[in-house]
Amino acid sequence: MIGVELRKLFRRPRTWVTIAVLNALPVLVAVLLQLTDLAPRPGEGPPFLSAVLTNGALFPLAALAIVLPLFLPIAVAVVAGDAVAGEAQAGTLRYLLARPAGRTRLLLAKLVALMAFVLVTVLVVAAVGYVVGTTLFEAQPTGGTTSVSGTSLTQTELAGRSAMAIGYVTVSMLGVAAFGLFFSTLTDSPLAAALGALAVLVTSSLLFTLDAASPIAPYLPTRYWLAFVDLFRDPVLWRDVVRGLALQGVYVGVLLAAAWANFTTKDVTS
Amino acid sequence: MAARGRLARWAAVALLVAVLVALPSVVAALPADDADVPAADLRAAVLDGADVGFSGYAVSAGGLALPVSDRLTAAADLFSDRTLMRVWWRGPDEHRVDVVAAAGETGVHRDPGGTWTWDFEAGTATRGLPASLALPAPPDLLPAALGRRLLSEATDDEVTRAGARRVAGRDALGLRVAPAEPASSVARVDVWVDPASGLPLQVEVYGEDAALPALDTRFLDLDLAVPPADVVAFTPPPDATVLTAPDTEGLIAEAGERAPDVSLPAELAGLPRRSFTGVPGAVGVYGRGVTLLAAVPVPQRLAGGLREALTASPEAVTDALGTRVAAGPLGLMLVERAGGPAYVLTGTVTLDALAEAARQLPGAAS
Repeated sequence: MIGVELRKLFRRPRTWVTIAVLNALPVLVAVLLQLTDLAPRPGEGPPFLSAVLTNGALFPLAALAIVLPLFLPIAVAVVAGDAVAGEAQAGTLRYLLARPAGRTRLLLAKLVALMAFVLVTVLVVAAVGYVVGTTLFEAQPTGGTTSVSGTSLTQTELAGRSAMAIGYVTVSMLGVAAFGLFFSTLTDSPLAAALGALAVLVTSSLLFTLDAASPIAPYLPTRYWLAFVDLFRDPVLWRDVVRGLALQGVYVGVLLAAAWANFTTKDVTS
Repeated sequence: MAARGRLARWAAVALLVAVLVALPSVVAALPADDADVPAADLRAAVLDGADVGFSGYAVSAGGLALPVSDRLTAAADLFSDRTLMRVWWRGPDEHRVDVVAAAGETGVHRDPGGTWTWDFEAGTATRGLPASLALPAPPDLLPAALGRRLLSEATDDEVTRAGARRVAGRDALGLRVAPAEPASSVARVDVWVDPASGLPLQVEVYGEDAALPALDTRFLDLDLAVPPADVVAFTPPPDATVLTAPDTEGLIAEAGERAPDVSLPAELAGLPRRSFTGVPGAVGVYGRGVTLLAAVPVPQRLAGGLREALTASPEAVTDALGTRVAAGPLGLMLVERAGGPAYVLTGTVTLDALAEAARQLPGAAS
């Protein structure tokens, strides 16, 4: 069933159109940066963007930081919202459930397909970022890449930490996917499910900026998203990375349980 | 039957959520072990612990909106913002403190010869020489440094014990300093100390009649082991712009020479004058411990900018003596008179004490 779901997702042209559109913004930023040579001033702009002018190998990270706050979660929410509600809207959910596999397995297959989508999307953004970065900007300086703490990272260290950052961003997006999947079992409208997931994220981002909400800040789903920057400090600052992973794990666990409780007892009529 | 199954499944989900939501509160409510250590002994342990090596992660939160000009925003932000710091401490002249921001960091690496300040987003490494007098910097806000400084001049009569609490996963014993001087605007300072090492883990400074601390700095993580030397040391990376910090001693000496030539009294607002290494003779520093007052004569042309900054505050009080304003427990006053030098008075004293001090300045309106 997982294979079926994966094939279905990656054979759809709209999946690849979504990924392509997602890459358009970082590429545009790279081109503008190359043409104008105007890096963001210190304290402004996405992480790593100022450092890209002297080291193109850092552009995959800047590209992830550019799409992370809005574009990536929108893409994930749209695909996740479509997972079950899309089948219901198209009238195919009944037929899917007619198979002996059962609803729990269908839910798991949908989640695995979503995880694959998130991973592929993040990898493509990073890969396109690397190609664009090394083509448009200077390659890595001979002395190694400078970490956020001012030490030098070898090429191997940079590659290792970039791989960890890609993994971390992927896990950060699983919370969005879980919200989308849960809402997708509540409604027959994929749009409503995607908007529901986005409403949660907008609320979380807004509360995070509010001092009055600081007691609940550690539990907001977007709280630790930018912690991937901590992987490039020296020594690595694990505190927020570990908390971010645990928090996403809790959200995925709880929302999947809620989706399971709702979906396995739901009357499916379409 | 189906309805019962549905209920059971939702009940299981609700139980899972309840357990997860309750978990942080249960952990936070774990009581701390108090120990029967007298206040004087605990204070002595703190003062003896200057050489304790440690590394950790600390947060300082301040609610002091200082009325300053554009030139001092970095120092003012320290007291008004939330500052996250990573620290590796081998000793007073060998440590590293990184101020961690979402998209970068600023690291101060201290070695016996001076400091390197690394700014990731600007790509600069700045070398500075040790100075006896400097603007407040992030290392000064670490609970260990601030707690020791605030306890260093307190008398045994001013210090009492204040229970225990858990800080950074350790049992910390409370010490409360209530300054004896009537002029003081600080109601109390609570210092929470790790009894084994004498390291202050949290410091809270309360202004008068304030329920919330004006400054709260504490460790979130702490490791009581001497960190390796290579983590503390710094070599500017090849692509960094290397700068030299302005010569602070020279600037202070120059400012001292330019200051109007006045003779400050031996006592202001009931606080005796004292001397500090590095403070030019033109500047008067009064008081002790957490109650300090500085009086600085300034040329009239410099007073204009400060007057603007002070009067911009809605709480500023302007009368014949000058303009004064309080930012939490910190008071600031500009004393002006026709034809003579202006004075800046600032410190942890009340507005009434500032007014009294202003009347006692030579040549000021009375």
